[in-house]
Order: sequence, then C-alpha cells, then structure tokens
Amino acid sequence: MLARRLSASLAVVALAVLGGGPTRAAAPPEIVIGSVLPLTGGSAQTGALLRTAQQLAADLVNGHVSYPLPMVGKSGLPHLGHARIRLVFADSQGKPDQARAAAEQLITQEHAVALIGTYASSTTATASQVAERYGVPFLNPDSSAPGLTARGLKWFFRTTPHDGTFAENFFQFFADMKKKNKSFAVKRVAIVGEDGLFGTGASDAEEALVKKNGYELATRIAYTATTSEVNAEIQKIKTAAPDVIMQASYVPDALLYMRGYKQQGVDVKAILAQDAGFIDPTFIKTLGADAEGIFTREVFSLEIKHRNQAVPLIDQLFRERAGKPLDGNSARDFMGVLVLADAIDRAGSTKPDAMRKALQATNIPGKLTLMPWNRIHFDATGQNDGGVGIIEQVQDGKYQTVWPFDVAVRPAIWPMPAWKR
Amino acid sequence: MSTARPHLIALGAIVAAGLLAAFGLRDAVVLDLVFTLLLYAVLGQSWNWISGYAGNISFGHAIFFGCGAYASALCVTHGLSPWLAIPGGALVAAALALLTGFPTLGLRGHYFSIATIAVAALVEVFVRTSPSLGKANGFELPIASGWAALQFQQKGPYVVLALALFAIVQLATIVLERSRLGFYLRALRANHAAAASVGIDERRFKLIAFAWSAVMAAAAGVLYAQYTLFIDPPSTIALGISIDIALIGVVGGIGTLWGPATGAVVYVVLAKAVALRLGGAGKGYDLVIYGAIICLIAALRPYGIVGTIVDAIRRRRGASAAA
Amino acid sequence: MEALATFAQLLAGGVLAGLVFALVAVGLTLIYGVMDVVNFAHGEFLMLAMYATLGLALIGLGPLVGLPLVAIAMFLFGVVVYRVFVRRLLAGPPEATVFGTFGLLVLMQGLAQALLTSDFQSAPNPPLQGTLRFGAIALSQATLIEGIGALVLTAALFAFVEYTETGRAMRAVAEDRVAATLMGIDVQRVNGLAFGIGSACVGAAGALLMLSYPVYPTAGVPFALTAFVVVALGGFGSIQGALAGALLVGLLEVFGGYYLAPELKMVPVYVAYLAIVLLRPQGLLGRR
Repeated sequence: MLARRLSASLAVVALAVLGGGPTRAAAPPEIVIGSVLPLTGGSAQTGALLRTAQQLAADLVNGHVSYPLPMVGKSGLPHLGHARIRLVFADSQGKPDQARAAAEQLITQEHAVALIGTYASSTTATASQVAERYGVPFLNPDSSAPGLTARGLKWFFRTTPHDGTFAENFFQFFADMKKKNKSFAVKRVAIVGEDGLFGTGASDAEEALVKKNGYELATRIAYTATTSEVNAEIQKIKTAAPDVIMQASYVPDALLYMRGYKQQGVDVKAILAQDAGFIDPTFIKTLGADAEGIFTREVFSLEIKHRNQAVPLIDQLFRERAGKPLDGNSARDFMGVLVLADAIDRAGSTKPDAMRKALQATNIPGKLTLMPWNRIHFDATGQNDGGVGIIEQVQDGKYQTVWPFDVAVRPAIWPMPAWKR
Repeated sequence: MSTARPHLIALGAIVAAGLLAAFGLRDAVVLDLVFTLLLYAVLGQSWNWISGYAGNISFGHAIFFGCGAYASALCVTHGLSPWLAIPGGALVAAALALLTGFPTLGLRGHYFSIATIAVAALVEVFVRTSPSLGKANGFELPIASGWAALQFQQKGPYVVLALALFAIVQLATIVLERSRLGFYLRALRANHAAAASVGIDERRFKLIAFAWSAVMAAAAGVLYAQYTLFIDPPSTIALGISIDIALIGVVGGIGTLWGPATGAVVYVVLAKAVALRLGGAGKGYDLVIYGAIICLIAALRPYGIVGTIVDAIRRRRGASAAA
Repeated sequence: MEALATFAQLLAGGVLAGLVFALVAVGLTLIYGVMDVVNFAHGEFLMLAMYATLGLALIGLGPLVGLPLVAIAMFLFGVVVYRVFVRRLLAGPPEATVFGTFGLLVLMQGLAQALLTSDFQSAPNPPLQGTLRFGAIALSQATLIEGIGALVLTAALFAFVEYTETGRAMRAVAEDRVAATLMGIDVQRVNGLAFGIGSACVGAAGALLMLSYPVYPTAGVPFALTAFVVVALGGFGSIQGALAGALLVGLLEVFGGYYLAPELKMVPVYVAYLAIVLLRPQGLLGRR
C-alpha cells in the first residue's frame, strides 16, 4: 500500500524533474474535480450520502437527459468539447489534518482543477487553505460556520447559507408574522445550544441578532450534548420565563429537553429549532403529539417541488442509489457539483483564473436549483448572497413548510399548542 | 541491559533517511506522510512513557497534545513568537499531568485511567466554553513564513523539525531504559509489592514519567498547530484523538523503544488502507478493525508487535546459549 | 417561595438522576469487586442491551416485558465474553485488562455503527410517558420506574452477594483468589458467573433506559463515564457504595448545573472524584 503510493509519487517527481509531466490539452477529454469528504470516521454515514449525491450530479452532467437544472443533460461541458467531469474522492476522516492531506493529494497527484467539499467546517477550513496556496478554486456546498467566508480567501466559494443567515431567518420570520398579525408579540428569547461547533455557532449568531433586533435575551444555555439529564437546564429556562426558545440540539438531547419542557410546564409561544435533532425521523416518531407545533429551520424540503419539478425526479434517482430520500446535505452537495460544472463551462477552460472569474460571475436563478434559495451568486467574500433557509412546523405529525411565505405550504400556527397533559 | 548501540545506529539511519526526504523530495503528499508518521511516533512514545514503561494506561493523552496546540494558537494570535508555545504548552501540560497523577498514581491502575478520562472531559468543557480559547470554533492561524514564525511554505522544514523532535524523544527513551528511573518503573511493574516494600516511591517516579510524557505530547502539539494552521477541540483534545494515540502505543508494543514508531506506521497504513477499501460505504468498519486489533493484541500479544519480536529474539538467543 | 419550589424540584430531579446512574453502575462494581477488572466497555454492554430491547419492542414485546429476556441474553453474552476474552486478559500484564476492555469498547461501537447504522432509534410507543405531580414537583413516570428499578436491582444484588452460596464464593474470590482456590472454589467459574451477572444487571438497565432514551452506537458513553466515577466514589466493588456514589453524582450534577452554570455541571462531579481518590481512595463505603 505504502510502497505503491511512494512509487507512484516518486514517478510523479521523476516526471516533473524531467520536465515532462501530464500536459493539459486545450480541450481535455476529462475534467477532474477533487472531492474531500468524511468517508471514514464518525460522519462516514453522511459522507457516503454526500458522495452519492455528488456522483449523481456528475453523471447527470455527463449524461444526455435534461432536467430544469444548470448543466444537466448536455453530455459533458459543451464549451470544452463536451469534456466529461470525473470526480475523484479523498477521505478527510472528519479530521482537519487529514482533510488537508487529502486536498493536497487531489491537487498534486490527481491534478484536480477544482475542489469541492468537505461537510465539517473544521475540515473545510484546512482543505480550503491548501486550495488557496495552490491557487485552485474551492467550492464549499455544505459547511455552516460563518467564519469560513470571513478569512479573505481568494479561491473560496460557499453556496450554502451559514449559521448567521439561518439565525437571521428566525427574526425575519418574526417580522413577517408581525406584518400579518398586529397582535403578534415576542420579547424575551431564550437561547439553548449544545457546546460543540454546531450549537455554539448557532447560539452566537442568535445572541448577536437578539440584541441587534431589539429583543431581550432571557437566558443562554450551553450544555454538552452527551448528557443524560437536563434537570438544571430546564429549571434555568423556566425561571427565565422566555416568550420563545431558540434551540440547537442533536437527537438524544432534543428529546430530553422536549420531555423536560412538558413535564415542568415550560410554556412558551414557540420553540424554534436549528434542524439537527429536531428534524431527525426519530423526533416525531418518539414524541408523537408532543412534537406538534415545533418550528425548525431547514435547508431544503422535498415540498419545494412546486417551484422546481426536478426535485421529485432527483429525489427518485437519489433514492435508487442511496436507499434514502434526498436530504438537505445531499441536495446542497448535488447543487455544488452543478455550480462548479457551470462555472468551468462558462470559463471555457480549466485555467484557474478563468474558472475563478467564471465562479465570481455565477448567477443561477433560484428556480433552477433544488434549494429554496433566491439565486446562486457570490459576494466579494465568496459567500452566496442568495441563500435562505426555510422554516417548517410540525403540523399533523409532519414537517410543513411555513416560511418564507411564498414557498410555504401551510400557514404557521402561532402560538404553538399548549402541552397535552 | 543490552547495549544502546544498535538503537543509536537505527535512529541515525532514520534521521539520515528523513533528512534526505526533507531536502530531496518535493512531493507534498509523501512529505505529509513522513511528517504525520513522525508526529504520531512522538505521540505514541509520549503515551508509552506513562502507559508502557510506567504501566498506567492514559485515555486522555490528547489534552497534553492540545496544550501545545492551543499554546501555539494563543501565542500566534496574541502576536507572540510561536517558539514560546513550546515551553508554555509544556508547562501547562506538565501541570495538568501532576494534577491528574498526584491523587491517582500511587493507587491501582484504573484509578489513574478513570482520572485521565475525567480530567480530559473537564479540559474539553473548559476549552469549549472559554471565549479566550476560541470555544468550539477553535483557531485558524494566520499564514506566515520563516523560522521566526515557525511556519513554512514548503514541507521540508516541517519534516526536519518533526525529525528533530522524534530523535530527542527516542534518545530520551534510550536514556530512560538505562536510567534509575527506568529501573524503578520496571521494578514496580514486575513486582509491585516487593518494589514498594524496599521503599521505591511509586508516586514520585511515576509522576516524573507522566510529566515528561505530557511535555513530549505538548511539543508535538505545537508542531501540529504550526503545520495544520487550524485547531479546534475535536482535532486536538477530544477522546477520539486520545484513542488514536493509545492505539498507536498498544499496537507497536507497550514498554518498548521502537513500539510507538512501529505502531505509527501500522496506524497510518491501516487508516489509508481502510479508507481505500472500505471508505464511502458509510459504515464503521475502521472502528471495527481498530477495536479488533486492540482486542487481539490485548488477549494474545499484550506487548504488541515489537514486544513479540523482542521475545522471539530473546528466546532464540536463550536457545542458542543453552545449546 | 418560588426559589423553594425550584430547589425541591432540583432535589427530586437530582435524586432520580442519581438512581439512573446507580442502575448502570451496579453491574460494573460487581464485576470489579470479584475480579479487579474495570470493564471499560461497560457502556457498550448497555448499548447492546438497549438495541436488544429495541429489537424485542419491534416485535411487540415492550421494554418492561422484554426486560427479563434482555437480562438473560446479556448474562449469556457476559459469560461468553469472559470465557473467550477477559480470561485471557487476566493472564496478561495488569494493564492488559484496561486496554483490552477498551478495545472491546471500540470494537462494539464500530460493529454497531456498521451493522445497525448511526441512526437514532427509540422504542415504538413506550409505556409510562406521563408525568407524576406531587405539589410543586413534577417527575417523569419513566424515570421514576428506572429509579425504582435501580433500588430493586441494588437490593437484589446485595442480598445475592451476602446471603447465597454463590455470593459467598464470589466474596471469597474477591478477598483472596489463591485461598479461594485452595478452598476448592472454581475461580474461573465464579469469575464467569460474576461477569455474567454484572452484564445481566446492565441488561436490565438497558431495557429500563429504553423507556426514556433513544439508542445509537455511542448511546452508552455518557452513562459509562458517569458510572466509572460513581463506582470510584462509592468504592470499587461496593454495591451499596455505588448507590451512594450515584446519588452524590446526581445531586452534584443537578445542583452544580443550576447554581453554577449548566455547562459546568460535570465540574463538581469530577472534582469530587479527584478529591475522594486523594483523601479516601477506598471510596465512601468501600473497604480497603
């Protein structure tokens, strides 16, 4: 294994020394995009789904069946002589140092012209640094730490909205509700978040916006997700008497809190959750009627089909390969490959600068995506400025999109129903 | 005690080969592999001091590694030289080691092992809730270049640094094996009651071993942070990193000089092979393989690969001597 | 008045949380008491028991009905693990039992992830999801049953070890292995039995915990961490000590979480561990 790798690398070194090396033709028959994903380790299950989604996108770009999506069904990239896209995957193991090595391997050994990935914000941080150093475009479809686009990187582009955007959506939702209903009133906000990157990011963004938008912070709770009881936390929240709770939790802790709220009679107008534990299939299955009325933000919903009919079709194709419905992560990664393909095609070459210029000029209307976004267009930091989340509410045992109002399938029930005794 | 000469020759050969790679090779991937191997070997040896030579299994070794990594990030983000992180991180690591070890190192092994889990959990919570330590977000180190900044565009200097650290750690271990400290630790492991009855102060000697162990891990942490330029709790202080370190130490052979280096090679090859063959299946086969290996070694070859080889050599020598 | 109600609620919550910890810890302390082995894979035994309970629940046998079946299955599993694996560890150097059971932890988590996926799963329609109210105090029925289960289990185990022939043999092995062998006690058999009974206890715990927790490959980790501390606080090998240690941990955690800060709730627990180990290494109720 090691020997083979070493000899392969030595061969590359030798070629480079001899001045040969693989030369790039004007219209390469194949365009290599490197994808860094957590294929082993704790997030391996998600990594496998993301890989399936990305591969599906590449296959559709290379294929000839057309969908209302950019670059799909044109038998490769037309402006590059119908060159086909080839995805090469490398494993981040979910670790920053491995992600860095994986990115380096994709660029130097696989000669990837662009990189995509890497799901976890920490691995995206290091992999994108490598791309920056080599001057290779890096497209991040799925990491939500706000800081990633605040680093002043030249080659980094992010299609997904970040934690800050998702938190903002809650407050936009309040504002929109107020416009519809004069008696709508929210003042005190309690923020509850697990103390990992996910919960901290969400809570920090929410806290900043609470102050900015003139609300009152009732309390902020940080807790370790692997806890077996939340007695103290529930009492703290109860004592703080908030109007709404904004929460970022995984499944086991979300269930603990929900049971605690009910038992201790924590009566709030709404619980607004940051997906994760609150959108896991187990959540409604376990809580039944107690889950009714819970709001949660989502990045994606299969209900968006009324905006783009490709949603159920891609979902179907994805199910055939993955055995699972298309979810928000997979949909974002699927779109990521299309965005890259679109930019490379418009660039008409795989020269880094041309691709970067093309990425900067990206402007894909929202209705040509699988996402609820307004558009895909990058601002100066490389962040997609057209990204929005959606807000769903559990109604009749199902997640129903209630905001933004133009993609909503049901009106929001406000305040959420009281706990059933 | 056997002579140190073959070990010194082997170490010299490794250093020479490493230097050749550092200056001769340009391939980033190969150099990355060499750097990673050396870093893991250092971490494994650090673990080996307390868990192998002293016989107290540490499940929280990542926190010492984290001390160095965080010291590095703090120095750089506060405008100090990252070189200061080496003594700084080492001091904090040694202090943590004393805090964990003082109550527990005079007692049966599991008191210590549980304490390492507990202290590691405390440190993790502390880091994740301290704004000055970057909370869960960690730190991204600003890009710089040169020996003063301890950051380089090329990988060669990193390999040289890792090689130097590896050489120091191996030399220290060669010295340990021949020192009074090493002798006492061996005596304590061989016959605890007898050693204690002749007045060997268990706590004192094990604390020395543990503190040095922590210092070595912290130095590796500084190097890691300066190399990866990004640190956060899951990649430096979390239980998963401690598991990796223990795995490296166990596989090669606890209480042996070359065990950790062997373990590092096995671990890196294994991780790449697992990723290649099984990655993307979305299953936890990597854990299955690591777990099975630890179980098999514990049940059949508790002294690991190197311990088994050393045994075999001794037996052959014994046989030829008898003949 | 309100502060008093909160205090009462925290007290009740802390006691119940402590009882749940005791439920998980008794099996661990029994195994340690007899053969000096801290089973670092204890949490994974719990996880396995929870999956077994889930499996039974899916074919219509709810957690309470399934409990005896899970306990028996876990007893057999424990005996097999002892015979095949732990016995060999005991023959090696002392640290082999530590990293050997730790390898078992990694292996079992990996197998669960590979075979059962990392999805979270709850027992379908578990009973006892209601709330009991005593004045200002509200308690979950499920947690209350888990607490009662802990008391019953502790009492049963205590009686077994103190008053039965096998229990006496276990105590003899725990006192002095060599002497026990000379007295004609089959140490391997007693050890296997103890490992089996300890596993059966964690089996019962797993079944009860399915009333209020979902199961996933690392579901045992938070409980096991606490269980190690609990057992050390109470005194390794002491059954009533585990109960006392568990109550202490539950109260420290809940009160620490409320009056200190939720994110620091484990600090008093671990500080208590280090302090006890330093000042009274035999634990609260342990014998030297």
